Amino acid sequence: MSSDKRFLIVDDFSTMRRIVRNLLKEIGFHNAEEAEDGAVALSMLKATKYDFVVSDINMPNMNGFELLKKIREEQDLKDLPVLMVTAEAKKEDIVLAAQNGASGYIVKPFTKATLEEKVQKILQKTAA
Amino acid sequence: MDDLNTFALMADAATEAASHIAPRRGRKPRQKKSEDASDAHAANGTAVVDDMALTPTAIDPAGASNATAHAPTSEDTVAQTVNEEVFANESANEPTPSDAGHPGEDIHQRIGHLTRTLHDALRELGYDKDLAATREHLPDARDRLSYIARVTGEAADKVLNAVDRARVVQESLTNKADGLRKRWQAVAAYTAGAEDRATPAGRSLIDDTCGFFSDIGGQADATNSILTDIMMAQDFHDLTGQVIRKVVTLATNLEEQLLKLLLQTTPPEQLKKAEVSLEGPVVNADGRTDVVTDQSQVDDLLASLGF
Repeated sequence: MSSDKRFLIVDDFSTMRRIVRNLLKEIGFHNAEEAEDGAVALSMLKATKYDFVVSDINMPNMNGFELLKKIREEQDLKDLPVLMVTAEAKKEDIVLAAQNGASGYIVKPFTKATLEEKVQKILQKTAA
Repeated sequence: MDDLNTFALMADAATEAASHIAPRRGRKPRQKKSEDASDAHAANGTAVVDDMALTPTAIDPAGASNATAHAPTSEDTVAQTVNEEVFANESANEPTPSDAGHPGEDIHQRIGHLTRTLHDALRELGYDKDLAATREHLPDARDRLSYIARVTGEAADKVLNAVDRARVVQESLTNKADGLRKRWQAVAAYTAGAEDRATPAGRSLIDDTCGFFSDIGGQADATNSILTDIMMAQDFHDLTGQVIRKVVTLATNLEEQLLKLLLQTTPPEQLKKAEVSLEGPVVNADGRTDVVTDQSQVDDLLASLGF
């Protein structure tokens, strides 16, 4: 499957951004850009149209929760799918992400199959 | 000189000062003073603890000359002393009818006494020096952890680069194999006509070659899957990096706390000495003979001293 959907990968670790980007490519999403924290991501989101955000939580400047909150507050961005991919495995974090409007939540380390399943599920839900 | 170095030098001063402070035997008089201090500051518990740690009686010049004679002989002895003091303090602070209306005061006094006892124990065991040494080593530990994070990150990047290159090679190989497979299939079709144009050995070779090129696609997929596993394994850098970052933050906080503890246990005169010796860059050297203003003066000074 190949798609022209535009992804934004947000993570302060370049290794992780690269891994997610490569995985998305393998899954069929070749159009992806990267941001190293929530603040950079937000400015990119305001400047360009993206179809999907894959975001870490624990980041400097603006963390994933703050980014998620900002996205949901912005009229133009509030419906944007946001998948949280993070090492934060505490239940309260997962609940908080859901309460703040996250479209999905993946705990690191994860597999290609998990990422693919979540992305496809979110896209289907968004399209419906 | 940055603040951290300044702090380090002050910590040195604290350690030096601590080395001149003799362990004390006669507890009762100071205990009374501590109680007085506690009474005076009972309204704010934390302040009481801090004040007690900084009580001038923490320095015992009279006992300095007996430092050697009073040096701790074993941790057991000190532990016993601590226990005796704690229980003595507890006993001394048994609620009395006059305390009944101020339970918080009693708690503050107990905390104050406990702090004093621990403070004394630290000194008698020589742990104040250990604290200073620990504080000095923390920046080094922090740097080493940061180094690990950086090097492992670079290693992960190298692996990801190698995976990317391998994928390109793999893709090129697959494309070429696919082209050859089609040509060999044409050869197979040609030789398998009504007129068998191939010898048995040639026929076998054609079939094996076609089979080999047909399998390449599946093998390429398997290789790609392995490359994906290798790539995914590099997420260790993200996971360990986050842990290292937290430990570095912890070390920084610990260092700050240790520094505060050292400063609190440093006699005021030693603190002043440290502050005076840490002026930093000379802002105005006019009329001053105790400073140098350029490197040549430093070199001259060292040369005059025989260096």
